[in-house]
Amino acid sequence: MLDQNIKKFLAKLSQSFLLFAPQPLGSVVKIKPVAEIGNIDWSGAMPLNSWKEIFLPARERLFDLKKNSFFESKTDYPATACIGINVLDLKAFTLFEQVFGRDAYYQQRRRNLLLVGYSAQWPNDYKKYKVFSHNWEEDILEHLVFDIFIIQLKNDKTKIYSGSEKGQLILEKYGLKNYTHLEFAGAVKEQGPDKKMLELKEKLAKASSHKLWNELDKICLACGKCSIACPTCFCFDLFDKVDPDKNCRERYWGNCFYNDFSKVAGGFKELDTVKKKIYFWYTHKFVRIPHEYSLPGCVGCGRCTRVCPVGIDIAKNVSIIGKIR
Amino acid sequence: MNNIYQAQPAKIISVVQESLDTRFFRLTFVNKKLQKELAFLPGQFVQIGLPGWGECPISICSSPSNANKFFELAIRNVGTLTNELSRLKAGEIVFIRGPYGNGFDIDFSKDKPLVIIGGGCGFVPLRPLIQDFLAGRLSSSSLQIFYGCLNEKTLLFRKEYHLWNRRAELNIILEKPSREWKGKKGLITDLLAQKKISASSVAVLVGPPVMYRFVIKELKKRNLKDENIYLSLERKMYCGTGVCQHCAIGPYYVCKDGPVFSWSQLKGLPQAI
Repeated sequence: MLDQNIKKFLAKLSQSFLLFAPQPLGSVVKIKPVAEIGNIDWSGAMPLNSWKEIFLPARERLFDLKKNSFFESKTDYPATACIGINVLDLKAFTLFEQVFGRDAYYQQRRRNLLLVGYSAQWPNDYKKYKVFSHNWEEDILEHLVFDIFIIQLKNDKTKIYSGSEKGQLILEKYGLKNYTHLEFAGAVKEQGPDKKMLELKEKLAKASSHKLWNELDKICLACGKCSIACPTCFCFDLFDKVDPDKNCRERYWGNCFYNDFSKVAGGFKELDTVKKKIYFWYTHKFVRIPHEYSLPGCVGCGRCTRVCPVGIDIAKNVSIIGKIR
Repeated sequence: MNNIYQAQPAKIISVVQESLDTRFFRLTFVNKKLQKELAFLPGQFVQIGLPGWGECPISICSSPSNANKFFELAIRNVGTLTNELSRLKAGEIVFIRGPYGNGFDIDFSKDKPLVIIGGGCGFVPLRPLIQDFLAGRLSSSSLQIFYGCLNEKTLLFRKEYHLWNRRAELNIILEKPSREWKGKKGLITDLLAQKKISASSVAVLVGPPVMYRFVIKELKKRNLKDENIYLSLERKMYCGTGVCQHCAIGPYYVCKDGPVFSWSQLKGLPQAI
């Protein structure tokens, strides 16, 4: 059960924002537009799909092609509130903020987004755990990009944080004035990048001939479902759509498991085996993203494992690489 | 906010058939201010495109010293876009983004002998280095050029060889020349094996991956240091800014961290060459 005040807040918010939130769909929870605030899932269950569908649409129009020239497409980005983003998905979003910092389309969309994070099932007496509470704010929330964050305690009470000026204004405007403001302290913690992440980066970079990839090569179907489900997979293709009335240059999600990902004119493919594709995918998560942004490329949400039709378990594979001496 | 994907129109000043399958374009931005402010380094590339046909990365093959007036691209007809580009005539418009990538700094081979090794159409990005050396804009002490090609019809920049020969040592070898060919016949490694290359040289290699493997082996026999062997790599790419992931190799992006890498950077990385 969620605090009635928050329900009222969301009802008011829905008058000026399009609401998206995790909601039950059969046996799973999916992120989708909110028709009924009562339908929002507050259990903390990991949604099957990820928020990147909102942050980086699967297809988006970049340019209109008119009179043999390119004109930046004018897209309407409606004010959208993402309700109930869990910490792991906020980590993925914080990464997107670095990756798409110079992307005009992402930035336009971003300006109209309101991010409301959420964490469920806190112990009622959390204040007794000084260290726990202290760590939560300074070690986690201050390093995440969000506008509002709601913590659900077990006694049906909530604790509310704002993480941006936008978040503060909205909370004040819609009557949730009992909140704490946290200043974003950068995505990377003050003591520097995570040591375990750096250790894994070194190990994976040197592990291209490890037998693990041969084993995965035998079972992986290269279907690309893991990459679609992954909240941090942001690779894309640009494509000119030729349609007599609506010629345009589009961006759509790329997938390193698909055959044309590395295919150049003339037909040569750099990634021509499943083994190479898997290693490339893991390298992006555990080598390239840490190298470039000092942040982990995997937030540990487990979606890839959940959608894999042959049961490839990323956590198991990472622990195999981690054990290399 | 500036749109990093916005391509700019450029006019074809002239276009000629450079070799059997390669067209040579001289281009200038329609926006004169853009052209005047254009600055690049040898080894950098642009994304060239046509509305409806997409974009592809092509190395700039002219010297940066002319950048305020024009830039040149030698484009091999090998796919759908390049085929479409090959039909264009002087006065027509193409769309350009860039320049992208790192390229060669003027002092990258300071006071050292420079060895340029190109295979096939890989020779394209090497021309600005040669031009800059001849014009005294590179601080290298001398220049040796090794160029391996299939036959006479695929040789690039033939009209300039007499200029190159004046201050550099130009060596050409053809794999399958015609009967009239009086020069050397064989592979680029055969050519290298016949020539003296100083261990203190800085080598720049551009060509197909198979060439890299054999040429690096040959250069290591001559005791060149890994950090003095440079390679320019080619990959599929879309964004040109290190986001879309198509050109990634290990921790690097060819579009942003490359296309020029030293062998010490690439050695041991899977799928680099």
